[in-house]
Amino acid sequence: MDRQTMDKSTVELLARRAGLDKALADHPEDVAAAAAQAAVARRIKAPADPRAEPWPPMRAGDGL
Amino acid sequence: MSDLHWMTAAAAARAIATRELSPVDLMSALLARIERLDPKLNAFIRLDGEAAMAAARTAEAEVAAGRLRGPLHGVPVGIKDIIDVAGLPTTCHSKILQDSLAASDAVCVAKLRGAGAIVLGKLSTHEFAIGGPSFDLPWPPARTPWNTDHHPGGSSSGSGSGVAAGLFPMALGSDTGGSVRNPASCCGIVGLKPTYGLVSRRGVFPLSFTLDHVGPMTRTVADNALMLEVIAGHDPGDPGSAATPRHRYAAGLDRDVRGLRVGFVQHFHQVDMPADPEVTAALEHVARTLQLEGAEIRDIHLPTLGEFAAVNRVILQSEAWAIHGPWLRERPGDYGQLARRRLMAGAFFSAGDFVQAQRRRLEMIAAVEEALRDVDVLLCASSMDPACRIDSPPDIERTYPRQARTPFNVTGHPALAMMAGVSAGGLPLAVQFVGRNFAEATLFQVARAWERAAGTDKKHPAIV
Repeated sequence: MDRQTMDKSTVELLARRAGLDKALADHPEDVAAAAAQAAVARRIKAPADPRAEPWPPMRAGDGL
Repeated sequence: MSDLHWMTAAAAARAIATRELSPVDLMSALLARIERLDPKLNAFIRLDGEAAMAAARTAEAEVAAGRLRGPLHGVPVGIKDIIDVAGLPTTCHSKILQDSLAASDAVCVAKLRGAGAIVLGKLSTHEFAIGGPSFDLPWPPARTPWNTDHHPGGSSSGSGSGVAAGLFPMALGSDTGGSVRNPASCCGIVGLKPTYGLVSRRGVFPLSFTLDHVGPMTRTVADNALMLEVIAGHDPGDPGSAATPRHRYAAGLDRDVRGLRVGFVQHFHQVDMPADPEVTAALEHVARTLQLEGAEIRDIHLPTLGEFAAVNRVILQSEAWAIHGPWLRERPGDYGQLARRRLMAGAFFSAGDFVQAQRRRLEMIAAVEEALRDVDVLLCASSMDPACRIDSPPDIERTYPRQARTPFNVTGHPALAMMAGVSAGGLPLAVQFVGRNFAEATLFQVARAWERAAGTDKKHPAIV
């Protein structure tokens, strides 16, 4: 999905799925502005190597 | 002694230890200055003056009895109000937490008190360290003492404003996308984001677990090194804490920089986000000065600022949404508009976006590590513009993202911002130095060489 052009109904659907019904009712312009920011994810280049791991890696350990 | 308010933490600690300066006299001078200036600066959310004065009297009695708690005995410190101080609210500058009382000190605060420092109070921040400067919160935003019509940077805005104005010699800030280094840049002081894991985050309200750092903010490089010595160290209660040996960060401060290799990341301010000409000139002046001092300057290339910023934002806003989701669902109206917009953004990223950002982050860490194999320190821009007016939302929105600080939250490398000069309009310009992981001592060495050559530690705002 191209989130740069996310339409109003998609924004509403995602916001309701996230439980933001109250924000949608009281601050609809802020919900729209928040959704527009998600387009930034498209600027991240996916690693060319499909085996590339995220950071931090999973580690076995004793925890705290 | 005159001008106690411009005394450095190190000088105050020395004078108190030798009984040339009474901690009560120092505290009285600073409280009087706060009373006079803070109504214009709004650095404080809560001044704890009576407790601070009582602690100063105790410190004086201890000195008289020959007992010094540590290297900061009797020195006042301000604490950003996302960091717990026992018995005081940690409001995060938000209506959401305005009555949230801290039961105990954050680890970094406990270490400062253990070293003898005296907590003056809690300092203004952007709401939850992300939403500001804002005028729709229970407290007003802080302002820069260089020109109170302009913003002091954020989110550790009260820390930057108060240190620069001589309200206190040192403060704690936090840095997730540049929030120690931005106010350091706007207010002409020294701000360090230490290596990820060097300073405990326990007792600090989180914004992003991956990117959060706690750091010292001071008027001089030596004070910054002294403060870091006190607050650094392993904390088994912080899952991100690193087990590292203790360092004497202040020990090599006066070594010269002959033979050091400095990598100048010019594409940040020349290509990725073309900087204000005064900023460009100041950065070139810093590079030339270090070269004259004997350092070797090399050109260095890293990934673009745009991509660093994208990785930072996806991780930051996804993790912040996980923290704030419950409040945003139930009490969205209790946030200011800026925080509400920025914190809700995380609801619109996918799990895949987050993992992709974390995968790209590993490549970015590798790129900076590779660069730091060929040089000892990186030199680059911090802010691309002097601070704009605080009452101009379009200018704030345009200039705030024009910065080169987020790369080093993404990679975790230590990064220090400090004054590079003063603009024609009378506002500070800044430079940033970046080091190898846990090599803060080298950062301080280079920063001190610049400070010594340029006299940046002697430049204060004209506010009286």
